[in-house]
Amino acid sequence: MKTVFINCSPKKRFCASAYFLALQKLFVGGKKVTEKLRTPADHARILEQLRDAQAAVFGLPLYVDGIPSHVLRFLEEMETFCKQNGISLNLYVVANNGFIEGRQNEGLMQSFEHFCARAGLTWGGGVGIGGGVMLNVTRILFLVDVGLLLLNTLLSAVNTGNLFPKDAWISFGENAALLLYFNLGVLFYLARMGGAIRRRAFSGKKYTRILIPSFVFILFADIFFIIISLFEGGLFRGWLARKQPEK
Amino acid sequence: MKVIIHDLDSQYAGMMEAACDRVIAADGKYAPCQGCFGCWTKHPAECRMKDTLHQVCRIVGQADELVIVTKNLYGEYSANVKNVLDRAIGSSTPFSTYRGRQMHHTLRYGKHSLLKLIVWGDITEGEKATFRFRAERNALNDGFERAEVHFVKDLTELEALI
Repeated sequence: MKTVFINCSPKKRFCASAYFLALQKLFVGGKKVTEKLRTPADHARILEQLRDAQAAVFGLPLYVDGIPSHVLRFLEEMETFCKQNGISLNLYVVANNGFIEGRQNEGLMQSFEHFCARAGLTWGGGVGIGGGVMLNVTRILFLVDVGLLLLNTLLSAVNTGNLFPKDAWISFGENAALLLYFNLGVLFYLARMGGAIRRRAFSGKKYTRILIPSFVFILFADIFFIIISLFEGGLFRGWLARKQPEK
Repeated sequence: MKVIIHDLDSQYAGMMEAACDRVIAADGKYAPCQGCFGCWTKHPAECRMKDTLHQVCRIVGQADELVIVTKNLYGEYSANVKNVLDRAIGSSTPFSTYRGRQMHHTLRYGKHSLLKLIVWGDITEGEKATFRFRAERNALNDGFERAEVHFVKDLTELEALI
């Protein structure tokens, strides 16, 4: 069985969609192909991959309560391609949004279901993930933790000859467990949908989120944007001002 | 201010201009959003891409009444119209708040009165239901007091609705 994973994030790297698709791939067997959809130049290559695929998994961010415009352009072309070539694969979606409620992806899921009906494909369902950006940060924090553990082990080995610094490992274990906890809802529903993809079965629409209280999430999101705006300079360029059009 | 976003060809330009203060022609001659958040964090309320949508968020944000004329695409806006909306998120700020018991961004230009969607083209009952749902979601997200959705079979019905 061949499954095509389509990363629809317009960002070149470190995008949340790539993270969630990588997790989804852990739970799917058979031949796996990953494609990036950023511009119309990507369309023909991805459509060719779909020709002999049994399943396709779209990974994408929620934009303005719906599907990003560059993905809509691809879907229009894909509808024609599927009809002309008699393609009948199962389609699944892993959507993520910056707000904490994964349920805000409902409109996006409905549109993918309508797309499947028009293109003659089988709607397999999807997982909508809230707090996508922050969950993506957890994977970066995990890599930082691994780096710190290696550094501490190296320093311990050089200074004392001890290759197993206990405190460093405890600290790493605590941090890793916390990051894993934040991702538990996502892992559960992606594992569940992975089973459905393997069986080419219907998975339904499921919504989950980063596992922290929303008021804590909002506080961290605000701090995140203050720090980014400070470094990028927006904080000093009329950050919250009601600016008028220049023309 | 009343603003119309539409994806119709130039023969409707006069009708649109007569019905509002500002028209945004969704003609597709612009780039899609790159998801960089620069319109919040680097150059507030403007996009780094200097095409016709460079400052579109400042127009959309000040629309007390926003009328969107769009072809149906799977219960979504047409790609050209959605492109305009994706590039207009600078009409909000990066700060978050609760609206309708859900997390949303605070509004740079305050609340608006009416979001009116006029949908044309072939459409199923399921897609109509999704459009009604979408209108409510967009109205909540962008701070509109109410939303209307109209489905037109023929574009001759348009003039009475805008």
